Amino acid sequence: MNTFMRWAGFVVVLFIAAPLVIVVPMSFSNASSLQFPPPGYWFGYYRAYFTNTDWLIPTWNSILIATATTILTMALVVPATFALVRHKFRGKGFADLMMLMPMAVPHIVMAVGYYSYFGDLGLVHSHLGVILAHTCLSVPIAFLVLSANLKGFDRNLERAALSLGASPAKTFLHVTLPILRPGLVISSLFAFIQSFDETVVAIFISGRDAETLPRKMFDSIRQEADPVIAVISTLLFFVVLIGIAAPYFASALRSRAPKPSRPAGAH
Amino acid sequence: MGISLSKLTEKTNIWPWLLLAPLGLYMLIFFAVPLADVAIMSFTEPKVSLANYQKVLTGALYQRVFLNTFVTAAFVTLCCLLVGYPLAYLMAHSKPRTAMLILLLVTMSFWTSFLVRTYSWMVLLGNNGPLIAFLQMVGVDRPPQLLFTRFSSTLAMVHILAPYMIMNIYTVMKKIDPALIRSAESLGARGWSLFRHVYLPLTAPGIANGSVLVFVICLGFYVTPVLLGSPREQMVAGLIGHQIEEFLAFGLGSAMAMILLVVTLIILTIYHRRFGLDKLWG
Repeated sequence: MNTFMRWAGFVVVLFIAAPLVIVVPMSFSNASSLQFPPPGYWFGYYRAYFTNTDWLIPTWNSILIATATTILTMALVVPATFALVRHKFRGKGFADLMMLMPMAVPHIVMAVGYYSYFGDLGLVHSHLGVILAHTCLSVPIAFLVLSANLKGFDRNLERAALSLGASPAKTFLHVTLPILRPGLVISSLFAFIQSFDETVVAIFISGRDAETLPRKMFDSIRQEADPVIAVISTLLFFVVLIGIAAPYFASALRSRAPKPSRPAGAH
Repeated sequence: MGISLSKLTEKTNIWPWLLLAPLGLYMLIFFAVPLADVAIMSFTEPKVSLANYQKVLTGALYQRVFLNTFVTAAFVTLCCLLVGYPLAYLMAHSKPRTAMLILLLVTMSFWTSFLVRTYSWMVLLGNNGPLIAFLQMVGVDRPPQLLFTRFSSTLAMVHILAPYMIMNIYTVMKKIDPALIRSAESLGARGWSLFRHVYLPLTAPGIANGSVLVFVICLGFYVTPVLLGSPREQMVAGLIGHQIEEFLAFGLGSAMAMILLVVTLIILTIYHRRFGLDKLWG
């Protein structure tokens, strides 16, 4: 069993890895269409990406929308998480469940809802509409990460500050927030990525004026499969690689076992 | 526990509500209302009737698409399990260095956008891609069309969803007490019987977690089936999008969306009763 599992495991490693790395040589290709291995190599598609506003504007839109979504999500989720983790009240179980609901509803269902509802409100094809929708979709993951952090918080530290004469506000600012910072950073990051990667709702409501990068990529893959997508994929690949490897190295330096963290399932 | 701070918070019971209010209000306006809008449209567009549901539940096209969606989701879940189990095993029982490298790879895959991975499969399976070239090299004269078929969309979905399965099973395998396996061995369990009667049951919770997650995501999958699948073998999400974008058939699209939603929520409710929904996403 052991040997079989190991061999099968190695085959799966190839299956997982191949599609991740293939975009790197593709991005340097000089072929005008999808061709692998590429007939030759150059930086043409990098230049095409970094000089073409058709790609740069959606990239900028995505960064803008994801940033605004993160700020709005955190502004709403942080107080709510404190309420749900630190207080007992009637209906808490229900409220806990409601926080996770946007994760349980398929994105295509929400896309139909937003398309119609935001259409009525005049919010389709606008940055604001996408931000408002993405915030809903980012709430569950931000809440899950933050509440896990807050549950592990040693409240004696706050009690110590209070007993030493700090006001509740001072305690919050100088004790609670600094200790929670890693949790806040990670949950913000998850909210950002959730928005930056979200495709389905963006396809339906972002329109031409607030076109996000995933929407532009989706349209491009559907129409002509522009090799510029390989460039974007490669850039995203390295962003993710650095993002994941950095904590690994940091924790290796501190010689501590790394803990994998996982985001929500996007649909 | 019962020191001044917790007493204070218990006395002033309005606090949790004040803290929850902004998010609650927000979710009401921007989550519950649009969702309710879908429900309402399914009964009222274009006129008040049950016609949309009747059409979706009895029409041959819709029945075929729903059936195809369930079969595909079940098949993808099974494939993810077959692919994910050995890899999780390899991770859980390798030297720390190897395990870490594989974990890095799985995490990479997990964090890479669905679109990027879908695009990669287009390159790999395309007519000018490596797989077709390989088939030609080994002597297949007329290689089959791989892209835009059930094969390509299923393969890509398995690749995209496998990390969910792997992570769930890996977490469980990691926690298995090696003493259990040793004692089973000392009692005479070997090979297949050790796996079947000891190891597999111990990993069942991870399998259940991963399978529910993969199945539910796959049911509502839009991007990959639309981009890589055959247009004649759509899945529900693709058909909903098609109805809305092409025909502006909000009623019909909403009715399908509601059925998809209800099925998803039934599965998650059963799951929630047994394990708790917050466990699902780890």
